[in-house]
Amino acid sequence: MSESTSASPTDARWDDLARGASISREGEDVELIQELLSFDVGETAYAVPIERVREILRMRPITPVPRVPAIINGVISIRGEVVEVIDLRRRFDLSPTEPDRRTRIVVIHGFDGRVTGCMVDRVREVLRVPEAEILPSAEADADTVTGLCKRGDEFISLLDLDKVLDIQS
Amino acid sequence: MAAQSQGPGRSKAQREFVSEAEELLERMQSNLADLEDQGEDGSEVDPELVNGLFRAAHSLKGLAGMFGHEAIATLSHHLENALDALRLGRATLGPTMVAVLRESAAEFGELLGGLGDAEAEEAAAPKIADLVVRIEAACEGEAPAEEGLDALALDPTLLRALTEYEEHRLRENLRRGRTILLVEATFEILSFDEGLAELGRAVREVGELISTLPSPGEAPESQIRFALLLASDVDADTLRSRLDFPHVSVRRVSDGAATAAPATPAPVDTSAVKPAEAPPTGTAEVSAVAESESPSPPPPSEDVPTPADGAEIESLRSISETVRVDIRKLDELMNLVGELVIQRSAIESVARRLMDEPGTARVGAELGKIYQGLDRKLRELQAGVLEVRMVPLRQVFEKLSRVARRLRRDLGKEVRLELNGADTELDKLIVEQLVDPLMHVVRNAFDHAIETPDERTAAGKDPEGSIRLDAYQRGNHVVIEVIDDGRGIDPDRIRARARELGLVSADQPISDREAFDLLFSAGFSTRTEVTATSGRGVGMDVVKANLTSFGGIVDLESVLGRGTKVTMTLPTTLAIIQALIVGAGDQTYAIPLTSVLETLVVEAGEIQKSDGRELMNLRGEALPLRRLTEEFELAPSPADSNNEFVVVLGLGGSRLGLVVDRLLGQEDAVIKPIQGPVTDVPGIAGATELGDQNAVLVLDITTFIEDVHRRKEAA
Repeated sequence: MSESTSASPTDARWDDLARGASISREGEDVELIQELLSFDVGETAYAVPIERVREILRMRPITPVPRVPAIINGVISIRGEVVEVIDLRRRFDLSPTEPDRRTRIVVIHGFDGRVTGCMVDRVREVLRVPEAEILPSAEADADTVTGLCKRGDEFISLLDLDKVLDIQS
Repeated sequence: MAAQSQGPGRSKAQREFVSEAEELLERMQSNLADLEDQGEDGSEVDPELVNGLFRAAHSLKGLAGMFGHEAIATLSHHLENALDALRLGRATLGPTMVAVLRESAAEFGELLGGLGDAEAEEAAAPKIADLVVRIEAACEGEAPAEEGLDALALDPTLLRALTEYEEHRLRENLRRGRTILLVEATFEILSFDEGLAELGRAVREVGELISTLPSPGEAPESQIRFALLLASDVDADTLRSRLDFPHVSVRRVSDGAATAAPATPAPVDTSAVKPAEAPPTGTAEVSAVAESESPSPPPPSEDVPTPADGAEIESLRSISETVRVDIRKLDELMNLVGELVIQRSAIESVARRLMDEPGTARVGAELGKIYQGLDRKLRELQAGVLEVRMVPLRQVFEKLSRVARRLRRDLGKEVRLELNGADTELDKLIVEQLVDPLMHVVRNAFDHAIETPDERTAAGKDPEGSIRLDAYQRGNHVVIEVIDDGRGIDPDRIRARARELGLVSADQPISDREAFDLLFSAGFSTRTEVTATSGRGVGMDVVKANLTSFGGIVDLESVLGRGTKVTMTLPTTLAIIQALIVGAGDQTYAIPLTSVLETLVVEAGEIQKSDGRELMNLRGEALPLRRLTEEFELAPSPADSNNEFVVVLGLGGSRLGLVVDRLLGQEDAVIKPIQGPVTDVPGIAGATELGDQNAVLVLDITTFIEDVHRRKEAA
């Protein structure tokens, strides 16, 4: 399990290479591809950049933590690491539901190399989306959504993870 | 520490560099001063001083290289070369050399002072170039004539195994007319290190131990022979009589001993010429002189380090006997041990399950035995890893002395700083986090507590103030007391200031104790008004926050006009703790056993109420109680009996009873920080993984006890 906590210089170089490789031969239309992990929370489809995802876990017992906002479900132990799990349903003001067999915890790289678990209702797939196809968010005041991408008839909301995880205040 | 590679950690790393470099420089300067003293009358200089200088230059080079300070690295590199030449006798310690050494040391001081200042660094460049040239020049000059060592009655293989430095010391001692003695001893392989160390200590008392080498002589299978080459003013017989070792031979190898007959074996040797009988306890074994001279030829050369190999090993060994390890590597090791501990618990539970089933009871019992063996070894491993992390407070104390020296100079106060208990050991991580708060408290004492000499004389005190640091171990904690005999703190001023700040209401009575506690409260800024007059209290809230972050507590007592005592109580280690596992509601928690004084079973009737809060009578004293289910707003579990459990917690002088629903036993717990958006949860120190691999929260006892304190104050 690679546990690269933050983008190292080598990672950056790989990004450049990958980007270079995705540029079409003719050099005419430069096309940057973003890889996104998509998942459902309630009725909404969301996506986050794949490089922010460390791993995806099945539901496991969560230890509740007292004296913290209700958005935080508690902590789980991942191979000895203790990681907070936030309930994205609550984060997006939905009522919490009982976890079922499709519930997953998406472990996200946060700032400082710390990780956070995000409980989602269902993980869908990894999308490859040309950056040019990412649209600005429909709502000007959208807080946690940075953009939209279209898959067929459906819009998928790109999450600004740093804002999603900023629940201190 | 983990953030060291990231931006904000850098300035800390720089500070760290400067402090370490200063330490090295200080050592260099003190060695240099001794060197000048000794060399003044042209007499012999202690080779250890040159070695010390060499090691310091070498370390400084490495350190500067690591942090990318080229100027310092260059200068120390040339200095290291010069000192190496000096210790190997390739250069002589004349006035030019001493002068250039002294100037280099001064230049290091300036370079460290101007670190990060681009202009200063640029200005220093020509000076360094000049110094480098002069260092090189000082190294040149006629090398002392190489006298042959063939005249010594020494086995040539042994002679070849000497490093250049050792050869040089051998020549130097011969030149000074000392006697060269060869001490040979045979030890049991299993315990030779102890015996050899003891012998080494003994011979060092009478001379300079030039080299310790595996001896080419024959030794029985389970034994190992060593030859110690010694330069001394005493002769072989004197040394033999001084060595309180039963089976060691001493032979003079200098002064034509080669042509003489083998030295007469001492009575002790003859009595023990039968080497076949190995001593039962593995002490030094016989080695008659005759043996080493006997016809049995020296073993083929590969049995003895070749000169090149030997030199390399020896020179590395001479630099340092310790290894510097990144604390993060130790953390990783600790984590691994922690994970093993968890696996161990899992094995235990499997063994128990197997034992409970009649069909598998036997297999279970076998597994149980294996578990016990594993458990023992694991405990040893754990203790070993913990031990490695422990460092004495000495380093911190040395830093304090340096700061004190500077403060004495800057403030013009006469203060005696007394440091006791430098050998008290603490986890490296704690020591690191302790530096700032401790420094702060000592600085405070210097700055504000100790009066000027005039004031002190007027008050009928010794004009020289005193600050004493006592560090000692008490149970699972280390206590550090900082005691000054300064002006003390006036509780009335604190009371007035607290009311002014609105921390307490005007009519609220505050005891002296409570007043001192107020010094630690976050809003209590005394920066301007109180400090100048009342003595202490600058940033004490920061001190407290620092200590609390790793489970330490701080306490202050003061007598106006007499002095102040700040007591810090610290845990000895952070990494693995013994924890009491308790249940409350439907949850399980771990409580560090170090803060648990006792556990009690109480009946419902024993718990009383006072002012809406529960308490109980514990041997005549009122013990305030807190219910974990209420503190953490847990769903209360159905009361299945009239009994409740009280965990009596103590920290410093404070007591608190924590009421829990169940006591579930003791476990070793590795406290892990909680990762995620909310990292600072009041009452929670972290989490740990128990056998079932679920996270269990570890309670932060300080929060609970402080909470009681606060309420007491507010009441």
